[in-house]
Amino acid sequence: MPTVRGDGMRGLAVFISDIRNCKSKEAEIKRINKELANIRSKFKGDKTLDGYQKKKYVCKLLFIFLLGHDIDFGHMEAVNLLSSNKYSEKQVGYLFISVLISADSELMRLIIQSIKTDLSSRNPIFVNLALQCIANIGSKEMAEAFQQDIPRLLVSGDAIDLVKQSAALCLLRLLRAAPEVAPSGEWTSRIIHLLNDQNMGVVTASISFLDALVKRNPSEYKACVSLAVSRLHRIVQSPYNDLQDYTYYFVPAPWLSVKLLRLLENYPPSEDPSVRSKLNECLDQILNKAQEPPKSKKVQHSNAKNAVLFEAISLIIHMDVEPALLIRACNQLGQFLQHRETNMRYLALESMCLLATSEISHDAVKKHQETVINALKTERDVSVRQRAIDLLYAMCDKSNAEEIVQEMLTYLESADYSIREEMVLKIAILAEKYASDYSWYVDVILNLIRIAGDYVSEEVWYRVIQIVINRDDVQGYAAKTVFEALQAPACHENMVKVGGYILGEFGNLIAGDQRSSSQVQFELLYSKYPLCSVGTRCLLLSSFMKFINLFPEIKNIIQDILRNDTNLRSADAELQQRAVEYLQLSKIASADILATVLEEMPAFPERESGILAKLKKQKELPDSSDTPKEQKHLPQAIVNSESVSTPERNGGGGIGMSQGGSMDLLGLNSPVADGLPSSMGGYSQHQSQPQSASSSLFDVFDSPTPQSHGPPAHQNGGSGGVQLVSEANAKKFLFRTSGIIFENEVIQIGVKSQFSPPQAVGQVELYYGNKSTAPLSNFNVQIRNSEAESLLTQLSEIGPVVQISAQVKQVVSTKCMAPFSAQPHARISFTLGNFPTNIDLLIPVYINKFLEGAAMNGETFFARWKKLSLPTQEAQEQFFAKHPIDAAATREKLTQFGFAVLPNVDPNPENFVAAGIVYTASLQIGCLLRLEPRRDDAKYRLTLRTSNELVSKSLATLLKDEF
Amino acid sequence: MIRGILVFNNHGKPRLIKFYEHYKEDVQQQIVRETFQLVSKRDENVCNFLEGGSLIGGSDYKLIYRHYATLYFVFCVDSSESELGILDLIQVFVETLDKCFENVCELDMIFHVDKVHHILDEIVMGGMVLETSMTEIVMRIEEQQKVEKHEAGISSAPGRAMNAVKNIDLSQIKDMKFPDVQLPAFKNFKL
Repeated sequence: MPTVRGDGMRGLAVFISDIRNCKSKEAEIKRINKELANIRSKFKGDKTLDGYQKKKYVCKLLFIFLLGHDIDFGHMEAVNLLSSNKYSEKQVGYLFISVLISADSELMRLIIQSIKTDLSSRNPIFVNLALQCIANIGSKEMAEAFQQDIPRLLVSGDAIDLVKQSAALCLLRLLRAAPEVAPSGEWTSRIIHLLNDQNMGVVTASISFLDALVKRNPSEYKACVSLAVSRLHRIVQSPYNDLQDYTYYFVPAPWLSVKLLRLLENYPPSEDPSVRSKLNECLDQILNKAQEPPKSKKVQHSNAKNAVLFEAISLIIHMDVEPALLIRACNQLGQFLQHRETNMRYLALESMCLLATSEISHDAVKKHQETVINALKTERDVSVRQRAIDLLYAMCDKSNAEEIVQEMLTYLESADYSIREEMVLKIAILAEKYASDYSWYVDVILNLIRIAGDYVSEEVWYRVIQIVINRDDVQGYAAKTVFEALQAPACHENMVKVGGYILGEFGNLIAGDQRSSSQVQFELLYSKYPLCSVGTRCLLLSSFMKFINLFPEIKNIIQDILRNDTNLRSADAELQQRAVEYLQLSKIASADILATVLEEMPAFPERESGILAKLKKQKELPDSSDTPKEQKHLPQAIVNSESVSTPERNGGGGIGMSQGGSMDLLGLNSPVADGLPSSMGGYSQHQSQPQSASSSLFDVFDSPTPQSHGPPAHQNGGSGGVQLVSEANAKKFLFRTSGIIFENEVIQIGVKSQFSPPQAVGQVELYYGNKSTAPLSNFNVQIRNSEAESLLTQLSEIGPVVQISAQVKQVVSTKCMAPFSAQPHARISFTLGNFPTNIDLLIPVYINKFLEGAAMNGETFFARWKKLSLPTQEAQEQFFAKHPIDAAATREKLTQFGFAVLPNVDPNPENFVAAGIVYTASLQIGCLLRLEPRRDDAKYRLTLRTSNELVSKSLATLLKDEF
Repeated sequence: MIRGILVFNNHGKPRLIKFYEHYKEDVQQQIVRETFQLVSKRDENVCNFLEGGSLIGGSDYKLIYRHYATLYFVFCVDSSESELGILDLIQVFVETLDKCFENVCELDMIFHVDKVHHILDEIVMGGMVLETSMTEIVMRIEEQQKVEKHEAGISSAPGRAMNAVKNIDLSQIKDMKFPDVQLPAFKNFKL
């Protein structure tokens, strides 16, 4: 063909050459300014500029724009070119507009006018120019102006293919700008049938449009599935040169195939067996073709072939129903993992990530673990390595977690800085999710801090502390490990934070060893102190304060530190305040009070890991952590967006304790001021925990909602009748800590409770949610407790009104002084409209809430069992099975109840034995249990032996009929 | 969807900037610079895909590029496009340029920016693939050429003539010395 260089515009060429010959940036700018001035004066002065000259100047402006100079004139001239009747001038006018003019230009109305004229032109190349311009600008205004004209072009009988093609893409663009103009009704089937168009170009363009429509309304366009499958079938079956112009390097219509496969991904596998088998045949054939020898050595051939192949694999994964295809896909990707072309390895890793989330192929993916790890080590390209990490993350499960985490840790040392933070998060999540042994988890996190301390975000180290606090089996190990880690001459500050916090809580566990005595621990931490930031120093001060409680022998040294001018008179207000208050507290408070105030942290409520939330926020994972499979592994169900509470806030507790150590200042107006408050006081810190962010009760609890059986509140209004909450409904809380306890049309009451048996304390949070259409006023709650001396209860203050759809939280703090059998009741009264209503609510505080499992071997168990042989110590119940006899379920129930189930102790494997300790403030009561199911008559015999008659009786009564 | 198409040379000088979403002039230049930074430091033989820069949508977008001699061709696309498909599309674009310009080189992209745009407009429209058959694309460009030639040849002739007349310097004409013309003597004529 003749070259398009043609006899271009000489003035333009000269100008460009001038620019290119400029020796310096200044000279270039000077030349450009001269030219701009020239063009400006020409545009202004010379009214008789002809089309050719205008075109030349517009081209110059385009060139200047490309060099990075803003063009603030010439727009009008460009618009004038649109109305030229010469194609070349029109074309340049449109070019200028689509490159330089934004959708909100004030010239838009003129432009739209010109476009309208061209759209109705009889000359198809004019129509096409107009369509291109609409597609390039794609403003809302245009969508409204042309919503009638363009669809007509798309399906009109006499429009040529070129115009149809452009019209389809134009509509797509306008659909994005103004979704409300989507064609519907009669258009639906006409658009779908474009899939059958003779011209492949028209099909390619309209399928993009169709895809967007399908995404908006899949059911309306459902008919396209079978047409798309047929079309795909025809392409795949065609001999390689049958499609002539649309055969690209011996691959028939690769783009169209890709688009068809993507379109099908919008739908679940077809229910029509013939469509399904046809599609499977296509996919099968595409997989077959991958194994055929290449028809050309050119990279374009393999690119095009594999573009289709990857799309087919993606569709196979999406359908996730054909095991044979899935396995083949996995093998194919496995081959690509070793492909000599980097692109293929990259895409194979990416697709495998998806494959790993399918149940069927997860194991098949795991076979390639070695190769993937190898890729991580040897790939030269960071993009590929990143995909390898994503895949390792996706394929990780319990069986290979240790190895994968180890490999990722090793790689982290040399990883690119850009991906370190993400890697740290991923490692932390995997380590937590799959930890069977939490000391391993602690090791991993400490390694993370050591290797990449700067990239360890707060979420990560908060999390390790939450976990150590919640699991007492790992506390000693954690203390020992952080102690060792802190020995390093240069520690990352995050290490100091974790170390300080853990030693402050559990330093006593390792103080028995001379090498890590209290003094050594303190000196070690203090040696880091001067180099730390203020935040860390504050934390360390709290740790030192806790040391005063743990190690009274070094109290004097610590007081000296607090007294030190750098602390007591620190320029930083927070630091100074802590020093002053801690010092004062240490002087005034008695050992008892100190022990309470500085008591070990209570367990954190279980919650979704903040790390996961952060990772989700930071990056949409390609392996999509929100697929159902992934969710199964999530650590916790209570999803809370504010999930990371700072341990510092949770435990520091410093402020407010200072002014004399009197208990009232701790926020409890304790009714029993003498005996109890010290421990309650310590406990009150707990209430200052950041509250759950969930404002709606209906979100927090996923349990099936029990409906009150009583009459609706407003119907018995006036009489002031009392609604009772059934015992049975409350009894489910024997085995769980949260849920809905009461609900009617007016109010929903939820419960969330948390107990720490060793301290014999706990708290129940009651959530009152107003479901009615008026505020609940005079809202008042009182506790009736028949065994007030055994079980101390205290209510937090709440306001008198619960607004519409609002939720109010009230905390009931409890302490178990002695065994008890009756539950406290809350008398809730409020007025709705004019009707007073009362609800009598059983607060689910059972004796088992203070029960903690105790593991022991068979010998000990039987020895103790024999010891508790007095008739008063034993309680026995026989009852019919309420549920099918299922060992696993029973074991779980006993565990949730609080017992430690002891395996392989009872000679009869059908039986269950379990042990635990009930803690009260004054004494601990050992509890042993034996549960014997009898399958033949579906009965259970339950035996409890404890050192306390009441405990035996109440435990037996509570557990009766629960299995 | 394709969000933008950039062509720049080994020194980061832009040769073609085409966005399918409106960006301000200075942002466009920043995107070119950032993309150049990202792409140019990559070795040959690494893969042709990478995450988009911060300006053009971050990790939701991919840059897919090819390096030909002195020029980088970069397409910025979202996840709805097939990576290999786009890679082939770049190849189609370049091969088409090559056919139209007969051995295309960087200079052609400089001196004929308008033509390059017209060719691109036949391949990609509003961010979506319009046509993939090279034969078809070249045919359309040829058609445009014909129209242009036709206009330049015949229909623009009157305009050019007018211009020529307008550009005549009348003062020159005034000063023009006419040589004495010897008229033939009619008297010798014999009737």
